Amino acid sequence: MVAYIEAKDVNLTFTPPNRAPVTALKDFNVEVGEGEFVSIVGPSGCGKSTFLNVLLGLIPPVSGEMAINGKRVEGPGQDRAMVFQEFGLLPWRTVLNNVELGLELQGMATNERRAICQKFIEMVGLVGFEGHYPHELSGGMKQRVGIARALASDPEVLLMDEPFAALDAQTRDIMQAELLRIWDEAKKTVLFVTHQIEEAVYLSDRVIVMTKRPGRTKKIIDIPLPRPRNYEMRVTQEFNDLKLALWNELKDEINPQGND
Amino acid sequence: MKGNAAFDEFWYKNGRWIMGAVAVVGFFLAWEALLTWLIPLNQFVMSKPSLIFHGLWQDVLNGNLASDLVVSAKPFLFGFVAAIVVGIFVGTMMGWRLRVGYTLDPLMTALYASPLVAIAPLVIIAFGVGVPGKAILIFVLCVFPFVFNTYAGVKSVDQLLVNVVRSMGGSSTDIYLKVLIPSVLPYIVAGARYAIGRALVGILVGEFYAATAGIGYKIAWYSDMFELSRMFGYIFVMMVIAVVFTEGIRWAERTAFPWRTGM
Repeated sequence: MVAYIEAKDVNLTFTPPNRAPVTALKDFNVEVGEGEFVSIVGPSGCGKSTFLNVLLGLIPPVSGEMAINGKRVEGPGQDRAMVFQEFGLLPWRTVLNNVELGLELQGMATNERRAICQKFIEMVGLVGFEGHYPHELSGGMKQRVGIARALASDPEVLLMDEPFAALDAQTRDIMQAELLRIWDEAKKTVLFVTHQIEEAVYLSDRVIVMTKRPGRTKKIIDIPLPRPRNYEMRVTQEFNDLKLALWNELKDEINPQGND
Repeated sequence: MKGNAAFDEFWYKNGRWIMGAVAVVGFFLAWEALLTWLIPLNQFVMSKPSLIFHGLWQDVLNGNLASDLVVSAKPFLFGFVAAIVVGIFVGTMMGWRLRVGYTLDPLMTALYASPLVAIAPLVIIAFGVGVPGKAILIFVLCVFPFVFNTYAGVKSVDQLLVNVVRSMGGSSTDIYLKVLIPSVLPYIVAGARYAIGRALVGILVGEFYAATAGIGYKIAWYSDMFELSRMFGYIFVMMVIAVVFTEGIRWAERTAFPWRTGM
């Protein structure tokens, strides 16, 4: 496999105010193939979200190499787009204006970017809501905007940081199915961070299990379930075996007292 | 009215302001009735709406009101604009630079909380009875709402939104224009709403102490002359101005910032 996203020996240390330095990532490695859907699961605070921010270019690592399609990652770039857990929608912008943010920052002409954004608003099922403000939308709809916004600037890689963690359980199930449909349509490479084992199994081609802090790769588990996936697969023996295998890797990493 | 759908809809849409209007009109009618039939009117200590509006009409016709408004508007404008500029600058510095915020917060809080109108005589003595003295008094009263609201606005800027714009390749200018300014602006406009009330107090008090014309001067002068109807007329004008300004700003907030819920 030729790695499309490649992160090698990424180290990150940060110093909170008035505290000892914390090693967030230690020699962390990730390889994702083109068009692959890969999830990272790990205990709370293991640095999985931090890694996405490093890969996005918001946090410079202390050491390590990262590349997308052979191009070195140095700061933010149009080849990557993030879907954020707390949506990150600009509250003073309508749905359409939020979706077109990326293209607007790239300096694309209004007419041109509107046409593109309308396509993605359709893809995420928000036709008729273009003029709504975020506070008028449900959580699921907000994240649909977040996904459309990320896709609109046509990135090569979609980074998703626990995108459905802020949603209720039923909305989450629907959004997972929607994401698979959109992924199939948009044909993007996805790196997906979650703390939910079932979500990781349902969505992914492979799942990377991280250790507790400082985060390292503990185990990579292939998910050989056929695609397209459907809800019925979730109650099969194979699905549950995969969940159990993941849980067995993860349970030793979880601090029984809760988050550290 | 039971079952009258048209009335129900009319009342649903307009009931709120009608009830408010009934209270206002009722207040003036009760005042008028009380001093017409129940209490004998002593024009040295009291007046009633019919006399007040008649007097006010005289001041409108002879141009006194207009010229007094112009006189009062000048220091009001200078002081208020200076308060906006300085207040936004200081508030931004306090929000941006942690140490500036820590340093100035207690001092600013104390000054904001103290009844600064008490130093009006001092300000007038120091800066004279002309426009500058009164403008400075209004500035002193108005600057703090702008300082604190800008401070709060800058501090409340959502770092996530800054990261969103940064991650999409946005420059510092983009972050200013697309995140910081839209975040802070509603706070500043809300500050203006508080500041207006303080500015109106400032102009009145300033003119009580030292003036030869203007709304505040006329209120004091009519009072000294026992022209209470005229005095109340001018007070009524101030009341209308205050309501128009604050409600106007509230309307502007709803129109310009439709994403702000609950305003």
